[in-house]
Amino acid sequence: MKKNSIGKRYLANFIATAAFFVITLAVCSNGGSRMKLSIVPSIWQCCYLIIMAASLNLVLGFLGQLSLGHCGFMAVGAYSAALISLAFERAGVYEEKSGAAFMLVLLLSIVAAGVFAAVLGLLVGIPALRLKGDYLAIITLGFGMIIVNVINNIPFCGQQGLGQGAASSALYATGLGFSNDEKVKYLWVALLTVVICLTLMFMFVRSKYGRAIRSIRDNEIASSSSGVNVSYYKVLTFSVSAFFAGVTGALYACSNAALATTSFAFTNGSILNSVFIVVMVVVGGMGSLTGSVIAAVVMFFLNYTIKNGAWVSALPSFLQNVFTYPMLVYSIALIIVIMFRPKGIMGSREFALCDIPKWKGWISRYFSSHKVGKEEKA
Amino acid sequence: MVTFIQFLITGLRLGSVYALIALGYTMVYGIIKLINFAHGDFIMVGAYSLFFLIPVLIGLGMPGWVAVVPACIICACVGMLVELIAYRPVRKKGNKLTSLITAIAMSFVLENLAQAIPMIGPDPKIPRTLFGNTRMIGGVSISDATILTIVVSAIIMVALYFFTQKSRIGRAMRCVSEDKEAAILMGVNVNHTIIITFGIGAGLAAVAALMYIAQYPKVFTTMGATLGIYAFVAAVLGGIGSLPGAMLGGLLIGIVQSGTNAYISSSMSDTFVYLLLIAVLLIRPAGILGKNVGEKV
Amino acid sequence: MKKRIISLILTLGMVMGMTAYAGAEEADTEFVGTITLGMIGPMTGSLAVYGTHVSNGVLMAIDEINAAGGVVLSDGAYELAVTSKDDQGDATECLNSMNALIADGIELVIGSATSGCTSSITSTANSEGVVLITPSGTADALTTEMDYVFRACFKDSFQGELAAQYAADEGYTKVGIVYCSADTYSAGLRDSFSAACEELGIEIVAEESVATMTEVDYTNQFNKMVSAEAELVFVPFYYDVTGPYLVPQARSVGFDGVLLGADGVDNTETTISEGTDLSVFNDFLFVNHYSTELATSDVSVSFVENYEATYGETPNNFDALGYDCVLILKQAMESCGASDAESVQAALADTSVVYEVATGTFSFDETGTPVKTGVLMGYEYNEGDEEVTKIAVRTLTVE
Repeated sequence: MKKNSIGKRYLANFIATAAFFVITLAVCSNGGSRMKLSIVPSIWQCCYLIIMAASLNLVLGFLGQLSLGHCGFMAVGAYSAALISLAFERAGVYEEKSGAAFMLVLLLSIVAAGVFAAVLGLLVGIPALRLKGDYLAIITLGFGMIIVNVINNIPFCGQQGLGQGAASSALYATGLGFSNDEKVKYLWVALLTVVICLTLMFMFVRSKYGRAIRSIRDNEIASSSSGVNVSYYKVLTFSVSAFFAGVTGALYACSNAALATTSFAFTNGSILNSVFIVVMVVVGGMGSLTGSVIAAVVMFFLNYTIKNGAWVSALPSFLQNVFTYPMLVYSIALIIVIMFRPKGIMGSREFALCDIPKWKGWISRYFSSHKVGKEEKA
Repeated sequence: MVTFIQFLITGLRLGSVYALIALGYTMVYGIIKLINFAHGDFIMVGAYSLFFLIPVLIGLGMPGWVAVVPACIICACVGMLVELIAYRPVRKKGNKLTSLITAIAMSFVLENLAQAIPMIGPDPKIPRTLFGNTRMIGGVSISDATILTIVVSAIIMVALYFFTQKSRIGRAMRCVSEDKEAAILMGVNVNHTIIITFGIGAGLAAVAALMYIAQYPKVFTTMGATLGIYAFVAAVLGGIGSLPGAMLGGLLIGIVQSGTNAYISSSMSDTFVYLLLIAVLLIRPAGILGKNVGEKV
Repeated sequence: MKKRIISLILTLGMVMGMTAYAGAEEADTEFVGTITLGMIGPMTGSLAVYGTHVSNGVLMAIDEINAAGGVVLSDGAYELAVTSKDDQGDATECLNSMNALIADGIELVIGSATSGCTSSITSTANSEGVVLITPSGTADALTTEMDYVFRACFKDSFQGELAAQYAADEGYTKVGIVYCSADTYSAGLRDSFSAACEELGIEIVAEESVATMTEVDYTNQFNKMVSAEAELVFVPFYYDVTGPYLVPQARSVGFDGVLLGADGVDNTETTISEGTDLSVFNDFLFVNHYSTELATSDVSVSFVENYEATYGETPNNFDALGYDCVLILKQAMESCGASDAESVQAALADTSVVYEVATGTFSFDETGTPVKTGVLMGYEYNEGDEEVTKIAVRTLTVE
């Protein structure tokens, strides 16, 4: 009976995902110029933000360790993907971004990006064995900074890439770097990567590894005394999380024509930085992968619409002045969300299609519990 | 030899500022265990207050550095306001991470708000030089401000130490930092204590801002971001929550930065600072002077 | 709950109160239509100072042009307008802004302020067929291979060559470089300067870098310059660093040779801290686009006057380059009589056209980079009136 219902759930999710996939592709590839110029690039950005947030959730939400340098792994992924593909392009394996040879190079770049990042994740995982909490947080921050600082100083990763030109914070030539038309054409790559990564992450947290990791989060001493190899699982989680961050980097390299290390800094102007990835995880709910997905999309949309939304120009002029400072509006919105929903959008619950019928009950329970709370206070 | 002494002095010059900022950082952290990302931005608030106040006070015939008194008050008010409207409501409801995120958001709010104020804007402001100029002693240049910064940080460290050890509020602070629930039972007003800590921490930021702009005379809205991170690193390196540790950590980071510049690769100073941090934390997980508290089972 | 709402209202009220100030003003109309330019730049965030200055220049140019009768195309006079987008100094945001402008049907875009951001939109401009003119993206790679991308500034290699040429002319044999490795502008200039020095047979005795463009301490670097006995040190930094930090610190460790900067150094006189020993700014020279003293063009002079009248401060290079972008676009539009990207691109690609704008008189080369003459400028301390003044030394050309 129970097994049957789980099967049903998987089936429902699979069908829903497949349907979403096909519909998105169909709509996007047949849309007009606005679709090409604003919606498809947005979907690309959502894609890498989703994997980024979900992969950090493995460390932050499931393992319970704060990491402030997650974008460092992404930087490694992005640079490796860009440089590997560039090497193939320079070697003449492909000229146009199409054909079987290019697809192979693309696949290789994505996987290699993940592997390189995972190796670094291993290195970061080792201090995690000894340190906790804020001490670990600052070490990861340090790792993120070191990665950016080192990339800035390697001539191999600067200017025209592969040693053409001196060390620089910008890489002007990448082998990927899709144009808007190519983004439409290869939208399926981004979507498929997201689906595969999320599936793998779900499998990971639902497996015995996931259970072990959660037990470490809840009580490290208890889990180690019941036979969980804490060191192994900690390093493993850091590497797995770094792997997905590296894959994200490859997607980033696809969606940007040039790379600059400032994009992967601890904080910067955009919402893609180590700090805001942590924010996404917490807003989405720690320990909820679907929460991370929702948070990444919501926060991207918020950021995008603050700057490019048509409704902004309909606001009264004093509000428009506020909106010329996107980070100001964004941060205030963030504080508001955190004030009213401190556990994040999803808490530690996962979103499931089969749960939708139960929502009514949950919502009414939520409100009634609040009422009770108020009455008690009074 | 001259190079060596010069690098040491440059290190102290940078480090003394980090140390002063780290003192404020470590105070707030010690009590509510919150990495206060907005602390760097309190420095920015202090620096702008000083920038506007110094000419006024000089106009009134007083020495420029007196401006630090009103600047301290402004900073303390901003610090307490931030605690009151953002940190406290979130702390009540959420956990440590939600507080951290509020701190991050608050830091962005302060930076962008400053830019949005027409009087401040994005253009950097250059305050006037205080405490004279640099002087050459035997081929080595040293500025009065450097010596003064070290002296001021030492005085503040000692003062804070006695304040936390001897005074009533100080004892309450230590009490809250050790065990919040027990403190409540002992009749300590926790909220009161925390807000006073924020006031003191932010007030110290104004002093740090004064010493900072005396040596590096430029004020801009995002100046707090880098300073805040270095101060945070300094506080952790020395053992977060420990006042002498913050001082030591700050000076050490300044010296490492300067030493990397002088002897290894000048663009890699960040890497070496963090490598030092990683190395120290792996050997002493609670920082150089931090107490390694055993875990309760 | 109530308390939370109150604190929320307080915050919002504070923000609104602080940011609320005057809105836009209306201009009188006798035009047949409006041409909207796009502008992308870091208007907020840590690079906001560049973006806001470019924007100042652009807005002033547009006001001047509209007041003088607008842009005259084949079918009448058009009014100029601008849609401004904020890229916050980030490549992705920059790309989003570019796409949003294209989606709004804008075909002529000015942006972005830094090479890093601009490089993320050049290929989009090219593939979507939108003219992009960057006011201050100096990296050489930006305009090569990109037909639709132009710039108003020097490219790095040219400016570095000018600086090296100056060092050779003056007979310096031992030079040093202090630069920032993490910044495209600074690192790019360093690359071309050291390459040019090698060609001219000048020995680079020491080369030091700093980690960020906001670095505050340069004493160690200059200490090394002193011990390496460099006679001239090339310092490709911006004025917000040279005035308060770099020059006084260099002198404080005993470096008394020549400090040679690039166009970013212009306006250092506005960032000198009151109370600094001003004599340190002697022998501080820089390569620049224009100089009001040498009066490279009348446009420069009137630009500086008008800017001071409008904004109450001396313009910097970003203002001037933003201003020039609009002037260049206007001239191109008027010469082809249309405002669509294709015709404007063709007009701009004509390398024989001479543009007389605020930063000099020049024409574009085949990559879309202005062929400008450089001016060597410098600072001089006048003991009499206790001031540092900017002086024009001479014009520079590459031999």
